[in-house]
Amino acid sequence: MVRDYNNRHALDQKLRGTPKPVNADHLEVGHWQAIATVLAQVGLEAAVQRALSSTPELSLRYCGPGEWLVVSEVDTPIGLMRRLDMLCGTQAHVVDQSDGRVLMRLSGPCARRVLAKGVGVDLHPGAFALGGSTNVLCGHIAINLARTGEDIFELIVSRSFAESLFDDLMTMGRAFDLSAAFSD
Amino acid sequence: MASLITCPHCGVRPKEEFAIRGDASLIRPAPTASDEAWHDYVYVRANPRGRTLEHWHHVAGCRRFLVVERDTVTHEVYSAVDGVVAAREAQR
Repeated sequence: MVRDYNNRHALDQKLRGTPKPVNADHLEVGHWQAIATVLAQVGLEAAVQRALSSTPELSLRYCGPGEWLVVSEVDTPIGLMRRLDMLCGTQAHVVDQSDGRVLMRLSGPCARRVLAKGVGVDLHPGAFALGGSTNVLCGHIAINLARTGEDIFELIVSRSFAESLFDDLMTMGRAFDLSAAFSD
Repeated sequence: MASLITCPHCGVRPKEEFAIRGDASLIRPAPTASDEAWHDYVYVRANPRGRTLEHWHHVAGCRRFLVVERDTVTHEVYSAVDGVVAAREAQR
């Protein structure tokens, strides 16, 4: 028997059905977002970072020294891998995480207050600047948090923790009437 | 216990993001050293009062090992450096 395991999103069961109205504070879950991890060879961190940031389509998320999550809005997962192979060559280890991670976009005037309930970093605009990103603990789940807009935060979480994080975020956002839906 | 650690890569973080991996001041004995020396290195630990050097692993952040110097009495953190930097300085 042939099964197609690719067709089920990690949050399929949570977000299935007719989309509810979008409120001011909204959690948007990316559908098949192209994500990859890049780990630079020792000593080549600066060269890899230069190569990656020279491409405007790629969004770099800082994980640690010489390590990034690369998110692409335009590429398919295979396209992203091809692009990264061309950019980095043998200078870095590249692993496709499109099926391994889930991207959630939290936006709205109260996004910062929602996140402040579970995240241990200072989210003040002066401390967490636009374009900033870091690995952080949300509740007890390790995520990568990035600030992509004035009131927009993107959370990248391991697939197996996505449901748990989603439930946590909805609980954290209940006081602010947080809504959630797939992005397309 | 010290509740805020300033990670050299991630900034100020709560201790919940870290795992403490033990004494960082021990020096590994030579491979030909006596059984007693190896036994002490592997199993015997002091329970110091005051300043200690410890390995802290930033599990939920940059996933790097840090060498943290802190006080077990006052909970004050004196320094936190990357393990690679600490090892390089120790060799010098």
